[in-house]
Amino acid sequence: MSKGSASALVEIDDLVIAYDTPAGPIRGLDGARLAIGQGETLAIVGESGSGKTTLGMAAGRLLPPEARAESGRITVDGVDVVGAGNEELRALRRDRLGFIFQNPMSALDPTMRIGRQVARAIGGNPAVETIAALLRRAELDDPDRVVGAFPHELSGGMAQRVVIAMAIARKPKLIVADEPTASLDASIREKVMVTLGKLRGETGASLVILSHDLRLIARHADRVAVMYGGRVVEVGETATVLEQPAHPYTRALIAAAAGNEKPGQRLEPILGTPPVLTARCEACAYEPRCNFAEPVCATTRPEERDVAGRGAVCHFAESVLTRAGSQREAGAR
Amino acid sequence: MRLIAYLLPRIAAALITILGVSVLVFLALRLIPGGYADILLGPFVTPEARATIAERYGLDQPVVLQYFHWLVSLLQGDFGVSMVTRKPVLDEFLRRAPVTIELAMIALVVALSFGLPLGIASGTAGRSRGGVARFIGAIGASVPDVVLGSVLIFVFSVWSLWLRVGGYVPFSEDPVGNLRVMLLPGLTLSVFGVALVLRTTRDAVMRVMTEGYITAAVARGERPRDIIRLHVLRNASIPVVTVVTTYFGFLLSGAVVVEVLFSIPGIGLYTFSGLLNRDYAIVQAGVLLAAVVFITINMLADVLYAAIDPRVGAGAKR
Repeated sequence: MSKGSASALVEIDDLVIAYDTPAGPIRGLDGARLAIGQGETLAIVGESGSGKTTLGMAAGRLLPPEARAESGRITVDGVDVVGAGNEELRALRRDRLGFIFQNPMSALDPTMRIGRQVARAIGGNPAVETIAALLRRAELDDPDRVVGAFPHELSGGMAQRVVIAMAIARKPKLIVADEPTASLDASIREKVMVTLGKLRGETGASLVILSHDLRLIARHADRVAVMYGGRVVEVGETATVLEQPAHPYTRALIAAAAGNEKPGQRLEPILGTPPVLTARCEACAYEPRCNFAEPVCATTRPEERDVAGRGAVCHFAESVLTRAGSQREAGAR
Repeated sequence: MRLIAYLLPRIAAALITILGVSVLVFLALRLIPGGYADILLGPFVTPEARATIAERYGLDQPVVLQYFHWLVSLLQGDFGVSMVTRKPVLDEFLRRAPVTIELAMIALVVALSFGLPLGIASGTAGRSRGGVARFIGAIGASVPDVVLGSVLIFVFSVWSLWLRVGGYVPFSEDPVGNLRVMLLPGLTLSVFGVALVLRTTRDAVMRVMTEGYITAAVARGERPRDIIRLHVLRNASIPVVTVVTTYFGFLLSGAVVVEVLFSIPGIGLYTFSGLLNRDYAIVQAGVLLAAVVFITINMLADVLYAAIDPRVGAGAKR
């Protein structure tokens, strides 16, 4: 939140979203705050159940029907997403938002040719050349063949490029990519991310990446927001957050991530499970799993503070930060 | 070319199935107690009289020989003659087929024109709503034709409404009078169809609504109406095609209960009377024709699947 909200494209303020279940409501977001700037690439990381997908989908009100916004606000390019009427929301999704989903194969209609699906994303009655040109921008090798193909005739990487092309078809202001490369072969993940970054630059859109993959994020995101228990617990420049984490959870995530360990060093799994919140959490949600926890953590809900150039939601962020120096460097490029 | 390659194994399987059906019906008929002689001559028949009848119709020969004799005739297009009327069985079936086809069409049209829109509306309305459609589906699918038909016969016999019970007239002689007779049995048959189509459509639509590409279409800001028209209906149609074709096959092969109940001279009633008289040729031909109709319709369904979903027949795994 260190960035001025005047230039923010997305503003999320104290957003509480609950899922109605037979056992009562479960909070997906518990007072989440986040501002996303124009043209930036922001990664949202966290375990499954941390609320990152809920936050990402909330930007387009794409949550399942059992989800309710209980309080707080989310605006995208000035539109109040929670309160918007159906037509206003549809226009927002159509013209200003682009979504990229984890599994490109299930995001494409199996019974419709790619060309027609892309044409529908462009809108109107675009010429075949227009469709092929858009696919070429997404760096598909053989767009003329792809136009006439069905989704099952494409590889996962090609299908994701089609999905990316469809997402940028109307020059959106915000692209939300939910684990965009998780279902792809490791060999093409990086290439697809590069394409996505290039297209973000061309369109000037903001890009939000929801991901587990810290290495990927270290290379591609300007800023990182770490989520836990339905809140953003740490947010700041990628290098700042990943190299000198100020929240114990960020530290634990980095320690648990494969890829930066030295030979002989062991990965440290995060013990315990993420919380299931049935009401507003009046303590620090991470306290039961935290190595730094003090008695106050179990009784007082921490609020976001500015700590060494990033926002952190921890009573002891400063001491986490100083102890982090002794830890191995994380998120190295 | 691809269509032929797709259909060839199915045609081969169909021929084997038909052969199997011919063996089964032939054996089954000869296993039920009592034969034509008992029906014709009554319980106090002398063995000599019985032997005369058996000899006249070749029933004294070994069953295997009888079967092959029948099979060879079949291959020459001869379905045999009725022992009762001495007329060729095939002519009788062809004469009655239009009646059954008309009945089937009435039931099918009603089933589709109510089942499809209600199923789509109910399926897209979401889990919370659509309870009415579920109620109709449950009731419609569980009321037997006999009960429903009897109730309708009772109602329309007591109060002489426009529709008529019994007294069949051919469509060619009196179209309006024909419809007055055919509508009630058609409706009776359609109730199960409405429930079947409604439930299948509803389930298929609801399942497709949870697919990723529907969420993706919503995320692109497509109109709900377009999403249903372009993405939901086609993807939901395969199970609907399956049940509708099976239902149509059931209707075409003669809805015995309803034809008997309403005295509609279709192939169901004819086959049923053949069974009562132990008129072997009729029952054999009736069952065999029903099998052929069913298999043909199933093959039509296979062609439809391939037309609906490009993954079918392409050998694609997903």
